[in-house]
Amino acid sequence: MVRLRFFAALRERMGAARTETLAPGTTVGALWRSLVAERPELARFQVRFAVNEEYVSASHRLRDEDEVAFFPPVSGG
Amino acid sequence: MLRVGRGRISAERLVRAVRDPKAGAVVLFLGTTRVHNEGRRVVRLEYEAFTGMARREMAALAGQARRRWRLCRVAMVHRTGVVPVGQVSVGVAVSSGHRAEAFAAGRWLIDRLKKTVPIWKREHFRGGRVWIGATPSGGAPRKAARRR
Repeated sequence: MVRLRFFAALRERMGAARTETLAPGTTVGALWRSLVAERPELARFQVRFAVNEEYVSASHRLRDEDEVAFFPPVSGG
Repeated sequence: MLRVGRGRISAERLVRAVRDPKAGAVVLFLGTTRVHNEGRRVVRLEYEAFTGMARREMAALAGQARRRWRLCRVAMVHRTGVVPVGQVSVGVAVSSGHRAEAFAAGRWLIDRLKKTVPIWKREHFRGGRVWIGATPSGGAPRKAARRR
C-alpha cells in the first residue's frame, strides 16, 4: 500500500490524500501517468515528485509503505 | 530557527535567533506581499506548505550554506495561510564573522528557498484567484514563472 498526497492546485483536483495498492516495481512516473489517464485534465500540469519527503525523478521505483507526493513547481517567497 | 507555519513573522525574533558573539555581521532578508502583480491589484496572498518536507528542505539548505560559507547561525521562516498585502511572508537571517559571507549566504538561501522548498502561493485579486506557477495554461502568469 502506497500513500499518495497532493498539494496546491493538484490537491484541489485530487483531494489531499489517498492510498493505492501498486504492482511491485511501479515507478513514480508510471503512477502519475495512470492518474492522468484517469483525469485527462491533469496532463496540463507541470508536476514534481517526492517520496518520503525527498525529491525523486519519474524513474524512482515505489516500495510498499512509501508516501509519494505530487505537486506543481513551488512558488513560495 | 527553521519554521513553516501560521502567524506573523517577527524580524526581531529572526535577528535574535542568529545573534552570536563570534558574529561581526547580521544580514536579514524579509519578503513582503506586494499590492500589484502582473497588472493585477492583489487583495491578499495565501500560502500552502508541505510542512514536513519544507522543514527538511530548509534544514538541507542551511547545511549546504554552512558548508559553502563560514557562518555563525542561520534562521529561516515562511508563513502559511492568508497573508494580507504589505506583510512579511518569508524571512532569512544569517550571521557571520564578516559581512561578505552573510550577504552571499543570505542571497543564496532566499534564492534556493524559492526554488526548492515545497510551498505554493495563491494570489487573490479583484475578480479571481490563481495558484502561481501551477500550469502553463491555467492562468499562472508567465513573468511569475521566470521570477521564481
